[in-house]
Amino acid sequence: MLDPLSSNLERYMDLLSARQKLVASNIANADTPGYKTRDIDFQAEFRNAMDARQPHIAQVSGLKTKNDGNNVNIDRESRLLAENDIRFSIATSLLRSRLKTLRSAIQEGRT
Amino acid sequence: MSLFSALSVSASGMAAQRTRAELLTENLANAETTRTPEGGPYRRKDAVFVTTPSQSEFRSIFASHLDTKPQGVAVSEVVVDPRDPVMRYLPGHPDANPDGYVGFPRINPAEDMVDLMSTSRNYQANVSAISAVKDMIQKSLDILR
Repeated sequence: MLDPLSSNLERYMDLLSARQKLVASNIANADTPGYKTRDIDFQAEFRNAMDARQPHIAQVSGLKTKNDGNNVNIDRESRLLAENDIRFSIATSLLRSRLKTLRSAIQEGRT
Repeated sequence: MSLFSALSVSASGMAAQRTRAELLTENLANAETTRTPEGGPYRRKDAVFVTTPSQSEFRSIFASHLDTKPQGVAVSEVVVDPRDPVMRYLPGHPDANPDGYVGFPRINPAEDMVDLMSTSRNYQANVSAISAVKDMIQKSLDILR
């Protein structure tokens, strides 16, 4: 968009939205028999977000499976929900300050 | 990549949990019902959920074919408990059989209360998901302010 940092922030936010969507569908399916928790490997996906824009969705291992074959852990999903929200808010503040700097330059330092 | 599809996923979760809560309260209310339109005592009902592709406005359906598919939830069927009713000896009851036994619904109020608690907790989780996503949408709007 503007410079490398801003485009990285943009990708970061894209990835966070993708993850938040997965968390929302995990929560919605907390009672669906046979449903398996889906997530993305955040750090790995962020590293290769440069070339491939499609994050790879994988099932999460190491979660306790209930009798109906469902392994959604509501507490894990709530944590991710809050975490994604905070990360997203950090990214938007950073992007906002980049834009503010740019605007200040356009206005030649006058406010 | 739109966040709006996450909103419709959570909304589908809320709708499904609400349906389940309705069935569970119906079970509790009818724990002693001996007459039903289908004949015989009331039978316990419960909802079975199934994942569905997000059903929302055109844009997000279109997008869901392109990128990460968010999956919503829907009630696939309402299962009726096939077990025999509990027979209680009440000879004076108008619904008693010739031997003096009355069939009562096989409902364990504790079981329904526990299911109701889990339903309401999941409903709350969906509500928090909606508010978190709404917050994220709001923050991305604020970037340009």
